[in-house]
Amino acid sequence: MNFADLIQIVWENLRAHRMRAVLTTIGIAIGIAGVIAVVAVGQGGQAVIISEIEKMGSSLYFDISPDYMRGETADSNTFSLDDPTIIKELSPAVDKMAAITLGPMVDVRLPNSDKNTIMASLYGTNPDLIHIMNLSMEKGRFITDLDVTSHSRVVVIDAGLAEDLFPKEDPLGKKIFVQDIPLTVVGVLEKAPSSMMDAFSVRMVYTPITQAQDMLNTRVINQLCGTAVSEEALPQAISDSIKILESRHSSVSKSYMGTTLDEQLEMVGNVTSILTTIIGAVAGIALLVGGVGVMNIMLVAVTERTREIGLLKALGARRRDIMQQFLGEAVALCLLGGLIGMLIGIGGAFAIALAAHWPPLISVWTVLLAIGFSVIIGIFFGLYPASRAASLSPAEALRHL
Amino acid sequence: MISVSGLTKVFGSGDAAVHALRGVDLEIPEGDFVAVMGPSGSGKSTFLSILGCLERPSSGEYYLDGRDVNSLEDDELADLRNKKLGFVFQSFNLLPRHNVLRNVEIPLIYAGASREERRKRAQVLLEQVGLGHRLTHKPSELSGGEQQRVAIARALANDPLVIFADEPTGNLDTKSSLEIMEIFQKMHRAGRTIVMVTHEPDIAAYARRVIHFRDGEIVREEAKDELR
Repeated sequence: MNFADLIQIVWENLRAHRMRAVLTTIGIAIGIAGVIAVVAVGQGGQAVIISEIEKMGSSLYFDISPDYMRGETADSNTFSLDDPTIIKELSPAVDKMAAITLGPMVDVRLPNSDKNTIMASLYGTNPDLIHIMNLSMEKGRFITDLDVTSHSRVVVIDAGLAEDLFPKEDPLGKKIFVQDIPLTVVGVLEKAPSSMMDAFSVRMVYTPITQAQDMLNTRVINQLCGTAVSEEALPQAISDSIKILESRHSSVSKSYMGTTLDEQLEMVGNVTSILTTIIGAVAGIALLVGGVGVMNIMLVAVTERTREIGLLKALGARRRDIMQQFLGEAVALCLLGGLIGMLIGIGGAFAIALAAHWPPLISVWTVLLAIGFSVIIGIFFGLYPASRAASLSPAEALRHL
Repeated sequence: MISVSGLTKVFGSGDAAVHALRGVDLEIPEGDFVAVMGPSGSGKSTFLSILGCLERPSSGEYYLDGRDVNSLEDDELADLRNKKLGFVFQSFNLLPRHNVLRNVEIPLIYAGASREERRKRAQVLLEQVGLGHRLTHKPSELSGGEQQRVAIARALANDPLVIFADEPTGNLDTKSSLEIMEIFQKMHRAGRTIVMVTHEPDIAAYARRVIHFRDGEIVREEAKDELR
């Protein structure tokens, strides 16, 4: 029996039980769709986050936070406003440094409208941040030292927010309300190409750190971030910063940790890989269940068609012919499920990505792996029923009713 | 052509053992037409299964066309069934989802014939049994007699040495039975060896030899020289 004949026989047999074949296929389709969607979304998200972090700073970037590992959190004594200036003066390894007070969710609106409130992340910071974060101005200026010392009611907004609030006008010089405090727009940041924050529709506003603390009614500085003078100086910059901070805040005995970009990338990579693995494993279980479904239906087919198997053997079918036929049916079911699942999975990945605003990453390997895996499942779960069919004695099988 | 001696077949074991055949000796020369008769449970169907290489005997010798059948592997038996033997069953055993043409093509598929060869051969055979006009019908669209004719065409697909028929007219009315037996007679006249199990004396009368089974043994044999 040649391959074309095998394909034809398998196809005819599956067509004879269309409903059953389709239902069996669904189990596999769900599993494959799950695996592909999860991996695509996971890898896409990971790629976006990594590119975002890479964009955020050079290899010179580092930040100093309270030591989370020891359960420390930032309070009003952790950092002080003049820490960045002092550290820059004392450590030759540190180039730029800025303090950040974060307002994760603040309301932004135009003066005359109570509606159309936009959620944004507030960064209260110093002038150095523009260099540390590799930001560039589309128009206007960034925050100045004078803004910081004089608690100026000024704000720098990102390009997305500028489009939201002032679709037709020049935002410079206009007033906007942040947490119901009127601020004057002095600068608009350049739109970063395919920025993750932009993709997530997270808008950013930057104010002098002193003004942010006033608005948020806090004295907490969440973290310091900076750049080293050179890559070699990076460890020195971090340890200097921590030493200086520890001596300056010795009265409250705080401990600090420094993180470089590489370490952040590694962390992100670890977290997303673990998540992808866990969800992928769940989808894998679905695939396994689908495989058992295929095995079940193939065993039913063998029992149902015992007489037919006997007849085929009487007509000259060898063990291998029967084996191929039933294995072929199992593999065809799984492959069909795999193809349907692939389409659903890719569609699903795009749908999720559309909602979450990040591009899915569907590699050829993911698809090939999923298809290959469905074939392997077909072989694995088809082998037992097929060998049972093939080993029936022809006379016995023919006596079967 | 066919030579068996001391053939036994035991199903099960111990107290539950059933002795279907208790030592059968028989010679069937080429071109013979043998009818096997006997009450149900006499072992005649088991005997046909063993001759048709669908089942192996528990003991005894079996030579088919000069070959020792007992020494053959399963796949060699499959080849033997495919190329040298043809089967006709009481319940026709056609595959319901395939049309007539494809049913006849099945033995040719296993024989490795090409698509065109298969089609041509199946068509010729179906014309020979008078079904040239029913090639694309499904078995369910045919009468019992027509279905059995398809089965005969299928049995002849690879031009076998022997045709084994198990109650070929058992499910047919008198008229269809006559038609089928005429085909058998034609095959016999053309020199094909036929072994047929039946319990109807009318049908057995078409054969050249009639062998009577009882309790797993041959108890009587009639032969006639002239053909009907």
